[in-house]
Amino acid sequence: MQLLDLNNVTTKYGDMTAIRDVSLSVAEGHIISIVGSNGAGKTTLLNTISGVLPSAGGTITFAGKEIGHLPPHKIVEEGIIQVPEGRLLFPDMTVLENLELGAFNRRSRKEIPALLKAVYNYFPKLEDRADQLAGTLSGGEQQMVAIGRGLMARPKLLMMDEPSLGLSPLVVKTVFETISKIKSDGITVLLVEQNVLQSLMISDDVYVLENGSIILNGQGRELLNDPRVREAYLGI
Amino acid sequence: MVEVIIQLVINGLLLGGLYALLSIGLTLIFGVLEIVNFAHGEFLMVSMYLTFLLFSFFGMDPYLSLIVILPVFFLFGYAIEKIIIKPLLNDPPLNQIFATIGLGLIFSNVALLLFKADFRTVKTSYSDANLIFGNFFVSVPRLIAFAIAIALIAALLLYLKKTFTGKAIRALAQQRKAAMLMGIDVHRTYAIAFGIGIACVGAAGAVLLPLFFVFPTVGSLFSLIAFVIVILGGYNSLAGSLVAGLIIGLIEGFSGFFISPHLKEVVYFVLFIFILIFRPTGLFGKR
Amino acid sequence: MKETLTTLIESAKRFRKPLIALAVVLALVIPLLPRNPFYQDLIIMIFFWATLATAWNLLGGFAGQISLGHAGFFGIGAYTSTILYLTFGLSPWIGMFAGAGLSMIVALLVGFPTFRLTSHFFALATLAFGEVLRLLASYWRELTNGGVGLLLPHTPGFRNFIFDNKAVYAYIILVMLLAVLCVTYIFKKSRFGYSLFALREDPGAAESLGVNTHRAKMYALLISVFFTSIAGTFYAQYVAFIEPDIVFTSHVSIQLALLSIIGGIGTVFGPLVGSLFLTPLDIFLRGWLGGVFSGLNFIVYGVILILAVMFFPLGIAGWIRKKIAGFEKAPELPEKTSAEPVGCPEARAEHRAEAGAPLMTVDAISKRFGGLEAVKDLSFMVREGEILGLIGPNGAGKTTVFNLISGFIVPDRGTIVFNGKDISSLKAPHCFCRECIGRTFQLVKPFQHMTVLENVMVGAFACTRHTEEAEKAASAILQRIHLSHHAYTMASNLTIADRKRLELGRALATQPKLLLLDEVMAGLNPKETEDIIGIIRSISRDGITIIMIEHVMKAVMSLSDRIVVINNGIKLVEGLPNEVVKDQRVVDAYLGGAYHATAGLK
Repeated sequence: MQLLDLNNVTTKYGDMTAIRDVSLSVAEGHIISIVGSNGAGKTTLLNTISGVLPSAGGTITFAGKEIGHLPPHKIVEEGIIQVPEGRLLFPDMTVLENLELGAFNRRSRKEIPALLKAVYNYFPKLEDRADQLAGTLSGGEQQMVAIGRGLMARPKLLMMDEPSLGLSPLVVKTVFETISKIKSDGITVLLVEQNVLQSLMISDDVYVLENGSIILNGQGRELLNDPRVREAYLGI
Repeated sequence: MVEVIIQLVINGLLLGGLYALLSIGLTLIFGVLEIVNFAHGEFLMVSMYLTFLLFSFFGMDPYLSLIVILPVFFLFGYAIEKIIIKPLLNDPPLNQIFATIGLGLIFSNVALLLFKADFRTVKTSYSDANLIFGNFFVSVPRLIAFAIAIALIAALLLYLKKTFTGKAIRALAQQRKAAMLMGIDVHRTYAIAFGIGIACVGAAGAVLLPLFFVFPTVGSLFSLIAFVIVILGGYNSLAGSLVAGLIIGLIEGFSGFFISPHLKEVVYFVLFIFILIFRPTGLFGKR
Repeated sequence: MKETLTTLIESAKRFRKPLIALAVVLALVIPLLPRNPFYQDLIIMIFFWATLATAWNLLGGFAGQISLGHAGFFGIGAYTSTILYLTFGLSPWIGMFAGAGLSMIVALLVGFPTFRLTSHFFALATLAFGEVLRLLASYWRELTNGGVGLLLPHTPGFRNFIFDNKAVYAYIILVMLLAVLCVTYIFKKSRFGYSLFALREDPGAAESLGVNTHRAKMYALLISVFFTSIAGTFYAQYVAFIEPDIVFTSHVSIQLALLSIIGGIGTVFGPLVGSLFLTPLDIFLRGWLGGVFSGLNFIVYGVILILAVMFFPLGIAGWIRKKIAGFEKAPELPEKTSAEPVGCPEARAEHRAEAGAPLMTVDAISKRFGGLEAVKDLSFMVREGEILGLIGPNGAGKTTVFNLISGFIVPDRGTIVFNGKDISSLKAPHCFCRECIGRTFQLVKPFQHMTVLENVMVGAFACTRHTEEAEKAASAILQRIHLSHHAYTMASNLTIADRKRLELGRALATQPKLLLLDEVMAGLNPKETEDIIGIIRSISRDGITIIMIEHVMKAVMSLSDRIVVINNGIKLVEGLPNEVVKDQRVVDAYLGGAYHATAGLK
């Protein structure tokens, strides 16, 4: 069953077309990756799905329901949760407060203790740091809080925008392991990344975005040595 | 001399608590919506007149009238945000500044029209009462005002810390995009924050009236006090407003005594410009 | 300073005709009116408020600095001349200039620290300033007679600046009005005016084009204050009574802003139009209803103000201007010049002689933001005449590097040597522009309320003081970047591709030796990309050195002579494009090692 369906979605900034006629599908229970170099439109795509940006054309369907016109907080209620680029934690709140805010939406509010337990299961280190101000954590720890905050929202679809950005290789490895674990817990993941190798390794399906359009689509590991991916990134 | 100073400290702190209540709404509004409410003093004036009317027509004790004032002013603020502020949130600062200035103009001159320029106040049975501790006097209305102010501020801080909407307000002030992604309804939260800010200044008006008097332009006097406190405390720190309020109360008391009661205003306006220039983030603010 | 005076006189000569016409029209109004003192007073008040509002508009509308404390300078003017007259018998004509001088000194002292505040806080600070002056005037009784106010005895005479015949006052205020309108009109068309508009629209972009924003704001403030102050003296002489709660009150400050907003903020005649509409309204409201409904005029003002900012922010004159612009036929551009190569003449000569000498050497620069080290010990060099590509994954620090070498950020450590000169310690971006470094911005910053031609002229003004020359230079640039057909289009109406070209052209107009292009091709379709590549190549042919940050890899690879690759704030590799792209470190940085040649996965 296709959980999320985008059909010819176009988004503009003023009259600059950031993404053009993008069509993609996310199957339930899978990890779908969108890769592409900077400026390709990956974040715009996620923001359009999240309702932060209005789409200028096309349809977005989630679990059979048209969601393209909904405001951001309603999209969150539907179960589409975004872990934004740069983590964007609430710096003057503690780890615990950040996590609790993740459960702001109606479905999650009643189940905070159980949800917290699950998040601490993923990231035991966070339990020790529960009362520490989020702004004082290291990059890797912040990423854990960001992902945890996303999980607290009981996502049906978890969208992650460049979770490996600015992290050391070892931490990046941990992040991708976590993503695999999330999948095995039954949560569908839409992953946007610049780190191609790791994404291709864990993904079931991959889309390559270049200059606002999908230029390539295939199974993760098949695309591993495809020269077209290389060309999309390096031009040669 | 020591006794004089202690008395001044007592008076200053009591007043400072009230000042803190006056300004905390302004801090909240600026912290969340990033606009300066230039009509803040005028909202105070409206509240004082409303308290006066409730007392005159229903004999309602000013402190009791809080029961009416708090919800009425919350709704008042909520409505103003939705109608006037919200459309201008993405406009250049000029439009935001003059929208609230326009509001202030309207409020103070409608008051002038309705009530004329006379000074009015309320006198209760305990208006002139004093509690005596040894050599020190504590004015009863001031004490009550202080107690109510501190109670309301504490309630506000607790609300922001513990409730979901309160946390949403804090989150929105810190990181707007992430707040959106948590499922926080940004526009509704803005309106609630503004409403709470106005409710605070409304409460301040109700407890101020027995201590002072109201006339149509009383707002401008207190507006600038509020601005000084907000800047001193750190324009996005609520705790800062509390501390700064107490400090300003003390400064007013001391400068009124040692310099001149008339020039105390000059003192903290100069202080205001000083802070804006040398430490715009105030005592507790963050850049 | 001398140059400014000569330019001013030159400009005045050029604008003779429209100004004289205006002067005649206005001057005729006065004798033609009935001798009724009420109407004379009305005319005087209209001119009076127009003068004050035009002066305010210079700072608030043109430079975008919203002052709520202008009443302070108004009061200083009124009180200085009056006190000098009453105490020393000094003619108010002289006292007027003394007051203006004092106001300007005070303005300098107040402006210097407050200009760096953001708009809301600047407005607050000026409001507080006005209030402080009011209180000082109220309580410093020995000087000002406090709240009682000062009364001018009715001793008519030219020297005393007191007249029985109101018409004389009318002529005087008319002269003041014309003077301030003149100055405003001349400024609007001059380099100074362009600087003010640019800094109002986008101070960062203005700085990058060589505008010393701090100095421009100061000048605007001083001129605005001068006219506000002399109007204060006029008021004192006309009304013959001043007291703190009238002259120093914030209502005066708000009224000035209101007139400008209604009339058209940022236009020359807007405040006059505003006064024409609102002053009569005000006087009638006060006169007819004042006794019974005191304060009604302010209620009306408040409502008008809110409605204006919500629904009519351009004001009357602004709205008219917009409508006219829609219908106007675009006038001919100044003579078509053959595509003159742009760029500092020395750059072109040296390009032929010594292509290859280092133009800019960056040595071990570092920059930390809080806990994050954005740039770490970065060193690279760009040669004269070459195109250097700066690439790297997202978050690598490329834009930080640009900000460091264009003066927007100061490095924590390291040096930047440009053209033989150490520029690492220059403080403001406009200094870098002066050194002949130009740049564009990742998120384009067009001056929205100016035309395309005007936008480029701001850049051209970095190299010349004369409006005509700037216009010519800008037209030539527009031809180069294929935007001539849009010369009179508002920048806000351009497509993204055109805005990118505009940004490029604007930076070109400053005649840089080194041009920094920040993601100029992002968001362009293939055809637009081709077009810009062509423009970039022709710029390079003229000897201008270029550093470009790009993600459109095909473009940057084909354009660049050499490439520098950055990741996580450090330089990975510096070399020729086809070498760099085969370097394993680079491949790893972008693709995570997926394309390791043989040995399998990392």
